[in-house]
Amino acid sequence: MSSVPSDKVDVEARRRAAKVIHEKFRKVLDDILKGKPPKLVIPKRTLANTRFDPEKGILVMGEDVIERELLNMGEARRFMQTILMASIIYQALIENEYPTIRDLYYRGKHTIVYRDLRGRKREENTWEEQAESDSVIRDVEVYTGMLREDMLILSKEKGKVVGRMKIRSGGDTIDLSKMGHGAYAIESTPDLIEFLDVDAEFVLVVEKDAVFQQLHRVKFWDKYKALLVTGAGQPDRATRRFVRRLNEELKLPVYILTDSDPYGWYIYSVFKVGSIQLSYESMRLATPKARFLGVSMTDIFGWKGKKPYLTERERRNFIIKAKDLDIRRARELMKYSWFQTPRWRRELKIFLQKKAKLEIEALASKGLKFLADKYIPEKIQTGDWIE
Amino acid sequence: MARASSVAKQTGKTGEARKGERYREMSVAEFFARNRELAGFSNPTRALYQTVRELVENALDATDTHGILPFIQVSITYDEELEAKHGNAKKWFRVTVEDNGIGVPPTVIANAFGRVLFSSKYVIRQTRGMYGLGVKAAVLYGQMTAGKPVEVYSSIGNSEYVYSRKLYIDTEKNEPRIVERGQWRKRSGWHGTRVTITLEGDWSRAKSRILEYIKRTAIIAPYAEIVFETPEGQVFVFPRLTNKMPPPPKEAKPHPHGIDVNQMKLLLQSTNARTLLQVLVTEFQSVGKITAEKFLKQVGIPPDIKPRDLLRKEYNDLLVRLVDSMKSYRGFRAPKSEHLSPIGEDLIKLGLKRMFEPEWVDAVTRPPRAYAGHSFIVEVGIAYGGALEPVQEPLLLRYANKIPLLYEEREDVAYKVVSNINWKIYRVEFPAPIAVLVHIASTKIPYKGVGKESISDVPEIESEIRTAVQEVARRLRLFLGRKAREAEARRKIITIAKYIPEIARGLAMLAKPPEKWSPPSEDEERRLMEALIKLVSRNIEIPEIPGVDHEDPEKVVRSVIENIHLE
Ligand SMILES: Nc1ncnc2c1ncn2[C@@H]1O[C@H](COP(=O)(O)OP(=O)(O)OP(=O)(O)O)[C@@H](O)[C@H]1O
Ligand SMILES: [Mg+2]
Repeated sequence: MSSVPSDKVDVEARRRAAKVIHEKFRKVLDDILKGKPPKLVIPKRTLANTRFDPEKGILVMGEDVIERELLNMGEARRFMQTILMASIIYQALIENEYPTIRDLYYRGKHTIVYRDLRGRKREENTWEEQAESDSVIRDVEVYTGMLREDMLILSKEKGKVVGRMKIRSGGDTIDLSKMGHGAYAIESTPDLIEFLDVDAEFVLVVEKDAVFQQLHRVKFWDKYKALLVTGAGQPDRATRRFVRRLNEELKLPVYILTDSDPYGWYIYSVFKVGSIQLSYESMRLATPKARFLGVSMTDIFGWKGKKPYLTERERRNFIIKAKDLDIRRARELMKYSWFQTPRWRRELKIFLQKKAKLEIEALASKGLKFLADKYIPEKIQTGDWIE
Repeated sequence: MARASSVAKQTGKTGEARKGERYREMSVAEFFARNRELAGFSNPTRALYQTVRELVENALDATDTHGILPFIQVSITYDEELEAKHGNAKKWFRVTVEDNGIGVPPTVIANAFGRVLFSSKYVIRQTRGMYGLGVKAAVLYGQMTAGKPVEVYSSIGNSEYVYSRKLYIDTEKNEPRIVERGQWRKRSGWHGTRVTITLEGDWSRAKSRILEYIKRTAIIAPYAEIVFETPEGQVFVFPRLTNKMPPPPKEAKPHPHGIDVNQMKLLLQSTNARTLLQVLVTEFQSVGKITAEKFLKQVGIPPDIKPRDLLRKEYNDLLVRLVDSMKSYRGFRAPKSEHLSPIGEDLIKLGLKRMFEPEWVDAVTRPPRAYAGHSFIVEVGIAYGGALEPVQEPLLLRYANKIPLLYEEREDVAYKVVSNINWKIYRVEFPAPIAVLVHIASTKIPYKGVGKESISDVPEIESEIRTAVQEVARRLRLFLGRKAREAEARRKIITIAKYIPEIARGLAMLAKPPEKWSPPSEDEERRLMEALIKLVSRNIEIPEIPGVDHEDPEKVVRSVIENIHLE
């Protein structure tokens, strides 16, 4: 593990992250040596401190901060945890390691044995479950202003990409058009990827892995000069960061294809503005220019001049009745300001009226050809998407 | 036993005689022989306890009341002779109490121990004894159950002899019947009294009460040395803790508020005063000449009337009116209290400390008050924590004129007050390790019965007890408040300090810049740890508690850290 990485990008990323951590915690240390009660000033990661920035088109953190003080009984434990986590990450950076969040959990988990007020032996773990240490990682992220990817922390890979592009990763050059039936797994540290030759005109992100595979088999990306990406359901951070880089650095338009239901729309929303719980990531992970390609309610039911893509009979066969939970989700979405554009309001209104949803597989079963050669290209060509 | 059978005979006869009631006079000795439960001798357990009590109380009256530091030896032994005679039952006891008191003059011994209602304490003075009954009730019980005489050895201070008497009480006549007498020349300067009573008792049942009684006596009289030997040969010694004694009580004259017609008559018979005015001024306390004149003028009784004349039949109405007016007249000064002998705050604290080694103790002696012409003083001590067991309601230690009261707790005015206190106000949450001592000192204790076990609800006394308990409880609250804050500070130190090693280690790692990084040395960690220890201890204050050693926060922090290890 500790061999010196040959990759220049990697070395540079490590140096930068370590420096930031060192400087940020140097302050705490100085306070202690000066006899000043130390505190960590951390932006608040709460829903109340999350707002939508219409200019940037993403969710951002507000101004609220918490002051995590060692001398405050309620915060001493979290203070200790933050220092502990930072020191493990710091050491891993310096020693050229790539810890996973699970590694960090195990490395930092010890038992403090102490005596209580009555002199009885007591035990306390530095953290109990991984959920607790994961939350401390988030604190370190917001305190240092870096994402875990910046600190070269790995998580499970979930996203995939194929298409007309070559990249370099870990010193190897990879041709994303030569992946066979498989695909390139988007690595946990997408910032270490170098884009080499790009011969694509747009990015198509599909919600579902199965649809990704089907479109890959028919070489959709080759025919239409595209990069095909999936986050396999709720996208992980690496996939989101990767898509963002494609959009930002290569200026490729990003189209997102999900089920026609509130859950699918929320996935689109995560790609576009960020996740509500973790707004601090949005600055780096969100793709505000991402476009919702479908499946929209108007695709199913039509609208004014627009002809629906499904016939009356198909509708009867493919449409699923919305559940209570879906209805509740839709009502929730209506509250978010970025869903309050006329087009989105129309979508949600139709949904609540018809109480009907549609899985994207339904379009594929109408004929894969229909999906790959009619629905998608036509919608892109005619500009039938929602911003 | 002879008496009991003759009583049975008489009752039988009474049953046959239907035509009329049969009348006869009963001596006071016979009365108490028949109604022994009135004096606390209701069964063998109580009797054994009560006998010890009466003898110990007389012994203490003969010492501290006269300024002598008490040395009291109590022993209970099995009476083997009676055991052999009555089929080896272990229920015959000899109770012996010896004191170093003033002794009983040889001419008085017989009456003091053999005549019911004979006493040296029928004066207005704060003593344990007051009825002239106690030891005789024990003697009566002894002779009725074991059939043996009381044995007394006594010598007064300036006498060259020790005298002994063995005697029974003739219940019919209420007279002592001496069966043996002796006299020895003294070899040392000993003075005091030694009394032995043989009786039927139940040691296994009475043991805990008797021990408790002696313990509580030691609490209230830490200036006494008390030795107690049990029938099993176990010896309990309560050494003298101090040579300081409360000033002995002094005899007082009656207060006009506390007089009744009979007492007035006795007084008028014996007085040397020539006029009523003089009687009021010389025979009563708190009455000066001007007050007396004013009073007599207001009630319209001539001041120069002769005492003996007042005893004449035709003046009876006047006498009743006089006494009545004396009782209700507001113009007299309050009863004097100089002659009372409270224990004092220091001695109460000392006694409680020895018995319970409490974490906290305090006491108050209230200023004197009066009820119905009798002055009294209430004292209250509270002990908290230490060797005290947590209990559901305060352990109540009741005392009256330095006598521990053990039975009839719930009838007692002190119980009424203490159990009605809202202890929560004083931060006492039950179960709590708390003991409350209540002492009432008075020239007349309003006992509920001659067994002297509980005190009546006299409003003046009740309110004094309440005030006193509240006063000490308020101080307890201060202590408990500080203690809670102290515990809070300690909890805070532990909560924070236990993370110091972990934080020091992490920060030592983060302290080194990435270019020049190497694993931190132990020294570097230590340095950071020291800085953190200083920081935490300087920022957490441990409140000081008077009487408890104040701990340096830094010491606490260090001890927390010393006890930590990481796994
Ligand atoms: N140990 C003793 N030393 C000196 N005098 C004693 C002793 N024991 C008894 N006496 C004398 O005997 C008297 C009678 O004692 P007894 O216990 O019967 O009555 P009391 O103490 O006066 O009143 P009470 O009935 O309240 O106890 C006492 O008043 C006291 O004068
Ligand atoms: Mg007595």
